[in-house]
Amino acid sequence: MKYFLYVVRRMVTLIPVGLGITLLVFLLLKIVPGDPAVTLLGTHVTDAGVAALHQQLGLDRPLWQQYLTFLGKLLHGDLGESYQYQSSVSSLVLQNLVPTIWLIVTGALFAVIIAVPLAVWAASHRNGVSDNAIRTIPLIGLGMPAFWLGIMLVLLFSLKAGAFPASGFGDGFANHVKSIVLPGLTVALALVPILVRSLRASMTDVLQSDYITTARAKGLGGARVVFGHALRNAAISSITVLGVNVAYLVGSTLVVEKVFALNGIGYLMINAIFNRDFPIVQGITLVFAVMVVLVNLLTDMTHAAFDPRVRLA
Amino acid sequence: MNLDDNGSTAARAAAMAAHELTRRKALRLGALGLGGAGLSAFLAACGTNNTSTPSSNASSPASTASTASAPAVGSTSAAGTGAVASGAAGTGGASSAASIPAGKSGGSVIIARAQDSVDFDKTMVFSNASIWVYVQIWETLTIGSKDGRTVEPWLATSWTQSADKLTWTFKLRTDVKFSDGTPMTSADVKFSLDEASTTKGGWEFINSAIANITTPDPHTLVIKTKYQWAPLLADLACPSNSIVPNKYGGRTKKAFYLSPIGTGPFVWDTWNKGNKLTLKKNTNYWRPGLPYLDSVSWQVVPDDNTRNVMIQGSTAQINENPPFSTVDQLKGVSGAAVTLFPSTRTDYLLMNEKRAPFDDVHVRRAISYAIDREALVKTVLFGNGTPANSLLMPTVPYYDKNTPGQTYDMTKAKAEMALSKVPKGFSTTYLAASGDSVDSELSQILQASLKELGITMAISPKDPSAIHDLQNASNFDISHSYWTMDIADPDELVQFAVLPAGGGHSFETSYNSAAAQSLATQAEKTFDTAERQALYTKLQALLAEDAFLPPLFYQPFPYAMRTSVQNFFVKPTGLYDMGVVSLA
Repeated sequence: MKYFLYVVRRMVTLIPVGLGITLLVFLLLKIVPGDPAVTLLGTHVTDAGVAALHQQLGLDRPLWQQYLTFLGKLLHGDLGESYQYQSSVSSLVLQNLVPTIWLIVTGALFAVIIAVPLAVWAASHRNGVSDNAIRTIPLIGLGMPAFWLGIMLVLLFSLKAGAFPASGFGDGFANHVKSIVLPGLTVALALVPILVRSLRASMTDVLQSDYITTARAKGLGGARVVFGHALRNAAISSITVLGVNVAYLVGSTLVVEKVFALNGIGYLMINAIFNRDFPIVQGITLVFAVMVVLVNLLTDMTHAAFDPRVRLA
Repeated sequence: MNLDDNGSTAARAAAMAAHELTRRKALRLGALGLGGAGLSAFLAACGTNNTSTPSSNASSPASTASTASAPAVGSTSAAGTGAVASGAAGTGGASSAASIPAGKSGGSVIIARAQDSVDFDKTMVFSNASIWVYVQIWETLTIGSKDGRTVEPWLATSWTQSADKLTWTFKLRTDVKFSDGTPMTSADVKFSLDEASTTKGGWEFINSAIANITTPDPHTLVIKTKYQWAPLLADLACPSNSIVPNKYGGRTKKAFYLSPIGTGPFVWDTWNKGNKLTLKKNTNYWRPGLPYLDSVSWQVVPDDNTRNVMIQGSTAQINENPPFSTVDQLKGVSGAAVTLFPSTRTDYLLMNEKRAPFDDVHVRRAISYAIDREALVKTVLFGNGTPANSLLMPTVPYYDKNTPGQTYDMTKAKAEMALSKVPKGFSTTYLAASGDSVDSELSQILQASLKELGITMAISPKDPSAIHDLQNASNFDISHSYWTMDIADPDELVQFAVLPAGGGHSFETSYNSAAAQSLATQAEKTFDTAERQALYTKLQALLAEDAFLPPLFYQPFPYAMRTSVQNFFVKPTGLYDMGVVSLA
């Protein structure tokens, strides 16, 4: 029950956050030059045409009214209609959200799968050759721009080896899985060095602590000690590190999406900003806010599951 | 014209996703045609000589009612696919009803493109990404030839003009059905043209000369014009004049344009917005044996490199816009080829004459002389283009290659500056589209040249929508824009650039010249090709003299394709006919 209340409270904080963010975005979009009607109507745009379209889109009304209209629709679960696509924002957002969520989840998963063994190995072989290699080599992943890394992976695994599709998201679950491997790997390789360093550091600390010495003294084998006793405790701070970075990924997958033609939410957002498609921009901003809050919530909950000392109340 | 860049150039470096909306203006496409009936026959005689100087034996269409006729195609004719249109241009396009290239049936083609279609309301939409798709669904009465210099019969088989040149009578094909099986009649045509004339969507200027349209019988259409109007046949080939079912086939306008039907080779299938749009074969199509393909898809792939990789890996067969920077890289790929199709795209420098000192012709000339066009061709187009000399381009009729355009000459530039009101120079700002390669190169090259003239030029990068807005509001000093023709008649561009009624505020420069306006208006109403040529020659020289809208360069449309793709051809307006395309 306590747990449930905690979750509800966290969800409630979304309301002011969402309001603040949408208001900010709304005002920012109004400040910069650029008129959706002019953009839509193109070259032979006439003043009459612009005025008519402004009226049709409700852009001729005062700012506060426009914002309140947006809020009013939001309360009914309606994110409005896209100016350029003339279809509902919610359906566009949902459609484009799918590849983005796949990408973030796969990226996080791959990062964990790659980073955990490396960090554990490095911590168990402290200051050896392998430790130094594990601490430095992944840094290359941080330094390589995602677009270049993506292209290299495509050259190696798609064009040369033919193992994975070079681009797109495929149709159907099996093809989605195939298509997401390389983009997921691109995202993961940027996360791995961060995770490795944080997990190795905490692992090193834990492995020197008294209870580990006790466990070893009692004759527990190396693997049991490392995975059974040390990892769970060492992972606690790394979960937060991963969470923060995944939350950051929510808004930054655009480059990877672009290289792999995944056309996720980032693509939709940029396109909408360029066209001043206000409803889409506001809709996606809200979705981003919700996602960041959700990722943070999940991080805290995982943290709590790993660490009984954390009281959720 | 269009809001989006057809990707023609350039690694738009920052081309984030959908953007190639880089400039307003200009891109439009269209079917082509030629102003003036019968000009086609005359031009055929001229071949593809870029300066259509009239030859003495060309019969002037002004003196006789001309007739163009198309072959009967259909089950009743044994030679169904054969005969060449008598009286029509001999330069028939690949897509001419008369000449259907052989091909194998079956298969699907994926076209990778930088940005998605926007909308399919033909009276409202200016995006090439939309138009290039919808011309596979709908067709027009006339159509442009492959070289962009003539007009050919399409849904109309022939036409005659009254002696006073004001009444045009069109005979329509009798074998055309919409994809739902309903026969196409003159009522559909009238409805479609009226819709394009009356909807205030920005395209109505194309039909501004039409007074009224009547339908004496199901296969005859009579168009009366308000005054003698030479561009009519070319106008009818404009995509905005595509034929849709009368009263939208009983649906609302909005519902119709969400899943339109037409007489073209393909029918609406699915559109996953922002991702992929698919059309499938029209089994009721009137051109025998066509289309060859089962389906065509346009897949949105914003990243330049990814599109090239897709061609290399065969996950797409056509790349609609490989940047010029990658053209050479693709040349070495087996099974793929890059084709540069001659285009009507021309880039211009805009100077806002509402703001001093750009109202001073000497300042404008000085700046025009200071543009190193050769350097631009090298850096922006990687050598794939030519410096421009005229407002018009070599791929439209009446272009004059001898137009004395300003070429790069700093001595002359300095001399002009000395004659101006600001001989010591001034400070100004260049409004640049962020991430646009033309703007980035042009602004830097210009900045260096202008320094020599004492002009300090700051560069202000803005995103595409802001550029549209600022240019449209005449809120800039210097900027850049481009144009692509929709029809095979210079009038479309001339109206926009010179005439107040064209709605373009003289291409956003507020240029206002009574002499230019008079030449433009006369040329619209002149059927005699020699006279018309003389008027346009004069006009081009005058515009160059005034240094209005200094032209920068002419560039082709680059396309990367798998070699398995057969008969794919892009016209100078940017249109292509997927109906004749097949896979080897």
